[in-house]
Amino acid sequence: MSAAANDLTCELLKQSLIAWRLAGSVERKGDGAIEVSCSEIDIRIERAPSDLPFRWMVTLGRRQRGAISLPAVLRQVREALDPDYARNKVRVAISSLVPS
Amino acid sequence: MIPVLLLTGFLGSGKTTLLSHLLRQRDFSRTAIIINEFGEIGLDHELVEKSDDSVIALSTGCLCCKVRGDLVETLADLLRRRDAGAVPPFTRVVIETSGLADPAPILQTLMTDSTIAERLVLDGVVTTVDAVNGAATLAREAISVKQVAVADRLVVTKSDLADAAQPALHGRLAALNAGAPVLQAQHGAIDPQLLFNAGPYDPCTKSLDVRAWLGEGAHDHQHERHDAEIQTYAIVRTAPIHAVTLTLLLETLAEHCGADLLRLKGIVNIAESPDRPAVIHGVQHVFHAPTFLPRWPSADRRSRIVMITRGIPQAWIEALIDALEAEVAEVSEERH
Repeated sequence: MSAAANDLTCELLKQSLIAWRLAGSVERKGDGAIEVSCSEIDIRIERAPSDLPFRWMVTLGRRQRGAISLPAVLRQVREALDPDYARNKVRVAISSLVPS
Repeated sequence: MIPVLLLTGFLGSGKTTLLSHLLRQRDFSRTAIIINEFGEIGLDHELVEKSDDSVIALSTGCLCCKVRGDLVETLADLLRRRDAGAVPPFTRVVIETSGLADPAPILQTLMTDSTIAERLVLDGVVTTVDAVNGAATLAREAISVKQVAVADRLVVTKSDLADAAQPALHGRLAALNAGAPVLQAQHGAIDPQLLFNAGPYDPCTKSLDVRAWLGEGAHDHQHERHDAEIQTYAIVRTAPIHAVTLTLLLETLAEHCGADLLRLKGIVNIAESPDRPAVIHGVQHVFHAPTFLPRWPSADRRSRIVMITRGIPQAWIEALIDALEAEVAEVSEERH
């Protein structure tokens, strides 16, 4: 992962904690991983090995899960940190915004 | 497609008076009105005097909660009767909500119900605000705040009764919904043309006015408005956005924001479609599929997304787009 992309991911995670009204911290580790800490929970986020069908690995305690994209990382992080989180699924309207 | 105008506003804010005036205007003929009255004994429909080529239907129960099916059935029934020639061939529908209704679920119903969605197109949301009591109502009633926040047009009623120009009310309206033009009605009198075509599509001219729909006059000069409850801001991007980024953005917003995303509307410069921008619209977690315009409506080719939210920080949206776009670009590079 490029340094610029890593910076953007860090910033996204920091802003996500604010948006979710969670007090915590986001720190970049020396090996390139990102660590999110909140309410005595530590989550490690790092790029997945190239032989796995994921882009990211998310480690919480001894459990490690893959994530195919940043939205999947965000989902795992929030599910771990926010007990009140109830995921909404996007629904696509049938009606047209503009008549064809 | 028949345009549907949603007329909302808190109890006593002058919706029925406005509607009564509109129905007497030639420009408002051939209109089907659905009046939603919350309670066992409805009065509003008795107060509305209609012309011969308009039709009024009554929907009982609170539209915003358990009986949304009632609205769908009323609309479907109106369309059936129109097709059968049992009612005048109306060319417009106005839904007057009860004063306590949350407009967001009603918008969602219009967007998602297969019974009606193929024949009706949302023309916009008009919200009435009482010049005399509006500021106090907004301070007290959360639902009135939401009614104002999602509006495409705001109509301040009873201006003739208010002492001055109500600077506090207008300040609050601007903070809640900077993009919506604020119109004045006295005794319900207002030019119907000011209310029509509040959506992105003008059925009369069969043209698009995305700029007006986005309320860009307000957002050009002030990108963010703060209110204790509602935040309105515009995300503006010069660089094109990949189509996948837009999809992931909308999915993530729906997933994490839910009911706090009151409304989103925008025009987006898609990297894969530089000459045909995408128009997007969402209410909470329900989104229209992006519509690609035949061309840019003006020389301004920036992506502009107006967000009306309850506590969703602009910085999060900006960071989300930046990170998603970087990831999508990285994946694209890896594949080539």
